[in-house]
Order: sequence, then C-alpha cells, then structure tokens
Amino acid sequence: MTIDWPDKFAREGHELFLSGLPIALHCHHYNMNLQKTLETSLGSEGVLLLYKAAEESSYAGFTSFLEHHPKIVTAKSKLELASTSYQYCGLGIVNLTKVGPEGGIVTSPHSHHVTGWLAKFGKRQNVGCFFTGGWVAGVLAAIYNKHIGYFSVNELECKMTLARKCIFEVKIA
Amino acid sequence: MAIDTDKIVHAVMHGSRIREEKGIIPLFGVYLSMISVQYYNKISFGFEKATGNDGFAEKLLVEAGQECGYATFQGVRSSWEWEEVVKPMIEDREDQIHCFVSIAIAFGWGDLTVQELVPGKKLVLRATDLYEAKGYLDVYGKADSGKCYMVRGVTGALMDLVYGDDYPEGCFQYTAVETSCVVKGDPYCEFIAQRAAS
Ligand SMILES: [Zn+2]
Ligand SMILES: [Zn+2]
Repeated sequence: MTIDWPDKFAREGHELFLSGLPIALHCHHYNMNLQKTLETSLGSEGVLLLYKAAEESSYAGFTSFLEHHPKIVTAKSKLELASTSYQYCGLGIVNLTKVGPEGGIVTSPHSHHVTGWLAKFGKRQNVGCFFTGGWVAGVLAAIYNKHIGYFSVNELECKMTLARKCIFEVKIA
Repeated sequence: MAIDTDKIVHAVMHGSRIREEKGIIPLFGVYLSMISVQYYNKISFGFEKATGNDGFAEKLLVEAGQECGYATFQGVRSSWEWEEVVKPMIEDREDQIHCFVSIAIAFGWGDLTVQELVPGKKLVLRATDLYEAKGYLDVYGKADSGKCYMVRGVTGALMDLVYGDDYPEGCFQYTAVETSCVVKGDPYCEFIAQRAAS
C-alpha cells in the first residue's frame, strides 16, 4: 500500500496538518539554532531533550497515522511508510530495511539536519543527529507496539563530522 | 498594489510539495522541514522547565527566533520565488513587512495580523491562535507571562530586516515584547517591536 503524502498535507485556515497532525514549516536556521542553543546551554541534558522531544512526537504522530490507516498491517509496510514520511517532511532519506523488533542498523545518506548544520555551522567534531535518533526510536516503538523508550538509538557515525553517511545503532533499551 | 496573502500562501503550499532526491525541501532560499508542533513545544518548554523558569531559556529562545527570523527572511527575500511571486506586489518598504507576515502564516505559525506599523519605529503584531500558546496551555495550563517566544523574536527580526542596518549587521537592533498572551487568559497574543535601547 502506498500513501499519497501530498494528499495528507492540508491547510485549514492558518493551520497546517499532515495526516491530521498539526505541523509547522520551519527552516534550517531555526532548527539548527534550537539544537545549538540546547547543546550549548544544557550539554548532555539538552541533547537528551532534543532526542526525547523527537521520540515522543514521532511516536505520537506515527501511532495516530497508523490508527487512521488500519489496512497497513505488516511491519515491512509500516517501516516503508515511516521512511517515506521522513522524506515527505523534508527530513531526508532514512533507510529502515535493516532494523526489526530486536533492533538493528539504520542509515541516513542525506538529511535536513546534516545539510542545515553544515550550511549554518560547518563541520562538527562529534555526532549530531539527535533529532533523527529520537525520531527513529519513536517510529519503531509505534510500529512494534512498544512504549516510548523501549528502543535506544545511538549514532555511530555522522555526516556532520564529514563521515560518508549517518549510521545509527538501534538496541532494546 | 495590495499584498495578496493568498497568493503567497499558495506559492508556499505549492513549493513545499516539491522534494529533491535527497528528501530536502529547498524553498525561498532556505531548507524547509515539516515537523509536528508538539516537537517544538516540547523543546522550548522542556528547556524552560529544565532551567528553572528564571528567564534564561526565555531570553535564548526569543534570540533564537529573532536570529533565525532574520536569516530566514533574508534568505526569503533574496530568493527567486520572492522575485517572481512577491516582489511585484511590493510598492514601499512597509509592504515587505506585510509580505513576511504572509509567509509566516503560510508556514503555519499562526493567524498573524499587522495591527500597527510606524515606519522605523514600531511594529505591532497580533494573533489569536499560535502553536506555542496552544501547546503551553494544553500541557501546563495558564501562565502569568507570555510564552510565544519564537513569534516574539520574529517580530523584532522583521523590523531589523526592514529598518535596521544592512544585512547581516542589523540583527537585534529592534527588540520585541509580548504584551498580551492567550496563556495569560488574554483574548489574543500581541507583540510590539521597537528600537532596542543601545
Ligand atoms: Zn548524523
Ligand atoms: Zn502568546
């Protein structure tokens, strides 16, 4: 089953929705600045806040999406949809074919956060895709019917440090 | 020529449906993302709670909004989409502000209106339905100070861009306050930007 994402993107008055979920368009200036502000002022606590916010919102968003589409039943098609939604939202490409209920590896050759960070701040010394990590943890929990926090996602290599792609290891927490 | 918000909204809606092969949305000179408003609210208000509500997070979040609004709308007004869609509607400097506000509406930031604009001196924006206020009320209930930090920063940025020194020297030459906010029980959120005290 394929989803016509543009069809799910709707405007009601001044509000924007994707598949019924309120969203906002923001650009890399804001997203990267928020990340930098939190990292600079809170350190690892700020990183965790970014990861958790992404995990909770992707969990809520994808759970509600699956409830609205009861015909999507297999894990494989849910994973495929998750990665097309990531792409549709302008977040980049995320490969979810090597991950399952026990965890695995997720890779991302391109992303909004990598492109945005490099454009705005240049190369990083450490991995920096906390949004993507949290997003992956949240959608996997939604797909496998687990609670938030069930999966932990750790970025092993990051394109923000000029690695070839971002590589995330997914484990059961 | 009046500013046609619908036309600007349409251009953003149309443009934001276009993806390049990397899954990135380049539009109006910036890279756009569609992220749930819940995410932004969790970050902003989680940050504020984590730092003890002492005004530290508020200051940084308003600055983030202002710096980003400044860079974002500079990107916007330098883009070919602006040249093609927006510029023909602009007759004077003040029109730029109205166009920026139309773009903010198109981005889903809220039902913003320009309440008052005194060239070079003062900008008053109002909205009844901003996602920051709504998100705060949903999770924490009423507060005794305004919570719409992003839009407050952006209000200052619009004045910086139009009446401040040339880009990139003009950021933070104006500063905005939120005089009314829905989270305080006011009927609307209101932002006033004026020259920052030097
Ligand atoms: Zn990365
Ligand atoms: Zn407000």
